[in-house]
Amino acid sequence: MPSLKTIAELRQLVEAAQCAARVRARTGTIITIGMGTCGIAAGARETLAAFQEELKRLKVDAELASTGCIGVCVKEPLVDIQLPGLSRVLYANVGPEMVKTLVEQHLVGRTPVRQWLIGSLSSEDGDIRAGCEPQLRDLPLFSKQQRIAMRNCGIIDPERIDDYLGRGGYLALARVLGEMTSDAVIAEMKASGLRGRGGAGFLTGQKWEFCRKATGSPKYVVCNADEGDPGAFMDRSILESDPHSVVEGMIIAAFAIGASQGFIYCREEYPMAIARLQMAIAQAREAGLLGENILGRGFGFNVELKEGAGAFVCGEETALIASIEGKRGEPRPRPPFPVQSGLWGKPTNINNVKSYAMTPSIMTKGAGWFAGIGTPKSAGTAVFALTGKVNHTGLIEVPMGIPLGDIIFDIGGGIPKGKAFKAVQTGGPLGGCLPASCLNTPVDFDSLQAAGAVMGSGGMIVVDDDTCMVELAKYFLQFAAAESCGKCVPCRVGGQRLLEALTRITDGQGVRKDLEVIREISAQMMSNSLCGLGQRTPGPVMAALRFFEEEFITHIDEKLCKSGQCKALVRARCVNTCPAGVDTPAYLALVAQGRFAEGLEIHRQRNPFAMVCGRACPAFCESKCRRGEIDEPIAVRLIKRFMADQAYDKPWTPPVIVSEQEARVASKQRVAVIGSGPAGLTAALRLAQRGYRVTVYEKMAFPGGMMSWAIPEYRLPRKELFAEIDNVRRAGVDIQCGLAIGKDFTLDQLMGPMGFAAVVLAIGAHRSRRLNIPGDGMEGVMDGIEFLYRVAEDASVRAMGLPSNEALPDVRGKRVAVVGGGDVAIDVARTSLRLGAREVHVIYRRQGDDMPAAHLPEEIAAARDEGIRFHTLVNPVEVLGFEAVTGIRLQQQRLAEFDDTARRKPVPHGGESYVLNCEMLIPAIGQMPDVTWLPKGALQVERGDTFTIGEAFNTSRPGVFAAGDAVSGPATIVEAVAHGNLVAVAVDHWVRTGEFVKPQYITPRVDVGQVVDFQDYAGVHRAANHRLPVIQREGSFAEVEQGLDEAAACQEARRCLRCDLEWLDLMKLPRPPKCPEGAKPCLQEESAAVSSSTEAGR
Amino acid sequence: MVTAFSDVRQSSAAAGPPGAGSDSAPNSAAQETFDLAPLKRVLEEFKGRPGAVIPILQRTQDIYGYLPRPILREISRRARIPLNQLYGVATFYAQFHLERRGRHLVRICDGTACHVRGAAKNIEAVSNSLNLAPGSTSADYKYTLEIVYCLGSCGLAPIAVVDDKVCGRLHADELVGRLEHLE
Repeated sequence: MPSLKTIAELRQLVEAAQCAARVRARTGTIITIGMGTCGIAAGARETLAAFQEELKRLKVDAELASTGCIGVCVKEPLVDIQLPGLSRVLYANVGPEMVKTLVEQHLVGRTPVRQWLIGSLSSEDGDIRAGCEPQLRDLPLFSKQQRIAMRNCGIIDPERIDDYLGRGGYLALARVLGEMTSDAVIAEMKASGLRGRGGAGFLTGQKWEFCRKATGSPKYVVCNADEGDPGAFMDRSILESDPHSVVEGMIIAAFAIGASQGFIYCREEYPMAIARLQMAIAQAREAGLLGENILGRGFGFNVELKEGAGAFVCGEETALIASIEGKRGEPRPRPPFPVQSGLWGKPTNINNVKSYAMTPSIMTKGAGWFAGIGTPKSAGTAVFALTGKVNHTGLIEVPMGIPLGDIIFDIGGGIPKGKAFKAVQTGGPLGGCLPASCLNTPVDFDSLQAAGAVMGSGGMIVVDDDTCMVELAKYFLQFAAAESCGKCVPCRVGGQRLLEALTRITDGQGVRKDLEVIREISAQMMSNSLCGLGQRTPGPVMAALRFFEEEFITHIDEKLCKSGQCKALVRARCVNTCPAGVDTPAYLALVAQGRFAEGLEIHRQRNPFAMVCGRACPAFCESKCRRGEIDEPIAVRLIKRFMADQAYDKPWTPPVIVSEQEARVASKQRVAVIGSGPAGLTAALRLAQRGYRVTVYEKMAFPGGMMSWAIPEYRLPRKELFAEIDNVRRAGVDIQCGLAIGKDFTLDQLMGPMGFAAVVLAIGAHRSRRLNIPGDGMEGVMDGIEFLYRVAEDASVRAMGLPSNEALPDVRGKRVAVVGGGDVAIDVARTSLRLGAREVHVIYRRQGDDMPAAHLPEEIAAARDEGIRFHTLVNPVEVLGFEAVTGIRLQQQRLAEFDDTARRKPVPHGGESYVLNCEMLIPAIGQMPDVTWLPKGALQVERGDTFTIGEAFNTSRPGVFAAGDAVSGPATIVEAVAHGNLVAVAVDHWVRTGEFVKPQYITPRVDVGQVVDFQDYAGVHRAANHRLPVIQREGSFAEVEQGLDEAAACQEARRCLRCDLEWLDLMKLPRPPKCPEGAKPCLQEESAAVSSSTEAGR
Repeated sequence: MVTAFSDVRQSSAAAGPPGAGSDSAPNSAAQETFDLAPLKRVLEEFKGRPGAVIPILQRTQDIYGYLPRPILREISRRARIPLNQLYGVATFYAQFHLERRGRHLVRICDGTACHVRGAAKNIEAVSNSLNLAPGSTSADYKYTLEIVYCLGSCGLAPIAVVDDKVCGRLHADELVGRLEHLE
């Protein structure tokens, strides 16, 4: 390229390049492959080679080009194909094996391969026709993005200056040098409102002005490309994909400031960015855009690249200066600021890569245009590297002020594997995290700061439920402490002390005092450290403490890490996540050997309802199973079901678990339990096992609570349920049905004349919420719980061998509409169908994925299979009909901002509504405890009518305890069982000592030796869950799930990875001996070792 | 002119690989000879340029694979930079190594994105299968294993870099297999 001498020559060159680009687009067949670091790591070179070969083989005439990163990192290698005159079509995850098809179909056959494409890259150019494929800018991934710094990324070949010119590159420089004075440039920058994109957010124009006005010569312009934050790669990507934009921005800055020398300080870990920058600098120099007397304007400027040598602190500007000077990268106090005294004591302007990359656009499109984007105080766009537990990891550029949740859920596509959003970390290891309640926070400098995080330079890491916030804070601290340069004491020592405190907590050695220590050290570090590194090292832990203090306390008090990450606290994630803490690996290992009775015994120690939970548990254990990361989680629930069913006809008499002496003392005391659901029965059982005389009062005709009154027979047959309730009776518990508190007796009577030492209220949550819309009291409207009661009563009656009663709700031949998205709604819908409803519709106001019942995806799938229709994003506003229901008016909803559960709130969508005809309407929109019997003020209750309780499950009246749904609101059986276990311990302690203590339910840990060689089961997939064919379910309450047979159950149990044994190694505890596999692996008796210890069993 | 000289490495316990006593290190490692010609060219290139210490050390390390003591002394003498200054810079930055490294550099990223996507498992697997603690070099100088923070390819987490080749979306088994196949 000839060296340009004048601005006119530059303009001509740009025009020629733009013209050439248009011609190329109109006439050329071009295959462009993303060759950024991400692309190459994902195999772009192999893809390129495959294209070369395939083009040669088929003798196709096409140009192979390369480009940088368009930001869709998760779908690398990315390839786009452009046919003459058509827009570029982008393909995702293009491996070499796909190349043949692409060439044959798209290039030769001229038909895009639909299933692999993402969309087409629209062109601003009018003469390029769009294909019929979706436009990228219309996809959620791109529609909320606006690209300024990344305007050329993934579009041009970064190694060709012509490509940059073809997109109007260096026109900003032409304008600046041709039409503007230095002061005008600075005024333009100031007017644009651009704030430094390195994270601190200082006004760029103002910084330039300070530097211009500073005395000293020469002056320097420095580009900070020492992007060291883990989880951040915005700058790398821009440098790799569009290096000229940074060079052009620097030249403009140099002109404005009056600098003659520039440095780009780039970390050595970015070899490709360095290579492309070197190339861009050389090209610019050759074109006369760098050097002496640029474009004949008497202004000279050169840029030199400096490679960092691996020190995070060098991102701090004074440390960066020291490093360029060839010294140890230690920061120094400011003032003087670098703009006054920087590199070699001369005025030095330091900006981030993105600030420079945005500069040319501001100069060509004007300050007003830039200031019009984003918010008044944070103008323009922000570039983020979106990573972690989010579907579309990659690089994005969004207007400032966009809600955080839009980035994560719309652009990012939400959380993978249907897990729950927990937090997002911005600003890297010196930033902070924000929880779900902050998802509506606008993303800009000031709002993020106010919320407790920082903008940072652009790292945005999303974490889900499986991430422990204590561990994450520790991780960031580890990083920051290791990167402390050691110059100042608060940072050097403080970081270490913080790390020690956090390590104690994650190792299970933490005490409450550690939290005070953390807060105190953090405050000192923030106010007394020399530079930003030390001042902000405590950021992540302080943010975590602010939003997730509860999690720290659980680690300290209960030695429990709910997300299952802190190794020392987590023997196995299944045990850890089970609300009742059932020792899953132990019983799986026993089932693997065919020792079902022993396995069941272990299960019953923490949960007496194995047959029930084998059928109706959401199996939290499976969602955390490590095997699920390899193929599929262990089918724990089905194994449990098989194991428990083996004991169906072997009645169990629960043993007394305290000494004879203790039991004798306890037997003098009576305890009343109100309610015979899983919480009440478990509490009664555990108290009886401690020697107490327990009476359970149940207001309904049969015991079981929601288990017998709400869960339909096809999910939970009654004979198994009643068998397990009989086990509780055998422990000596007296269950009296048909007696209701508030009607047949009062709390005062229980505590007084009836002689009970303590009362446990386990009354569940049975009162349905009402729709509260016109017509909701009409004939044909029946609430969901009432509906299930009537059906259940019939089931229970039949199970006892009595004739069916006539109380069944009559839905035969009717069109039934069920309102709600929870378990009750799905149960009602499926039951209606079995009772002969003509059609069943489920109405839910949010989107389908947000249904509470979605935690049992199998239930929803089964409902769909059976023909139930779902209407989502609609809300009932009026029940229609005169004497009886004829229909329901549904208002369309749209999703607005986020609520605290990281779900978007539905709000009415315009005035659009429609009518769904139905003859029966069943609202099932949630339940609350029924406390209408309670005299006003007798016990303290929360909003939503749950009982207010203390740490010991104690209500506001001494001696009265509460547990289960009555405390937590509607939850699951296993959570109620966990409450039952705990409240029994609390009651026992209170009766004996009169003290309220936070109860701990402790059972021995059982270590079972491994019987099989795991390798033999590495390739075995999860056992199939056989279900009754849909055709046989019609009109039948027969159990849908068929369960496993013995061989399948044993084989499935052997897939267990035995995390518990690894934990023993970690804790330096002996492993139980490995048992050789017998000839008949499923024999009942086998001489294998079972060793027990007395440690706490979580 | 090529000047060659040898230097007897001082074997220190801290520098040796784990599990392998310093006396079990192969003899070839005890003595190394260095060709000074390329170093001279580097020093010539940076002569008189300000702030040249870091680039000189970077280029030197490119030549020798690490910063051998005799070479540092040589730089100090020829470029007239005090040895303590060179040592100060060399020990400040993570890039520089004062000990000899393995033929294959395995860097496993434990940056945030990789960390939440299971980097720890990869580290453990490699560390176990090569019998090599993070940060050390194997006795036969075949591998050096390093844990690094963020190599900027978080979209592909978890990643490792084996001899400058980035391997993304890694399973522990895959990574171990790949390493075992290296020459």
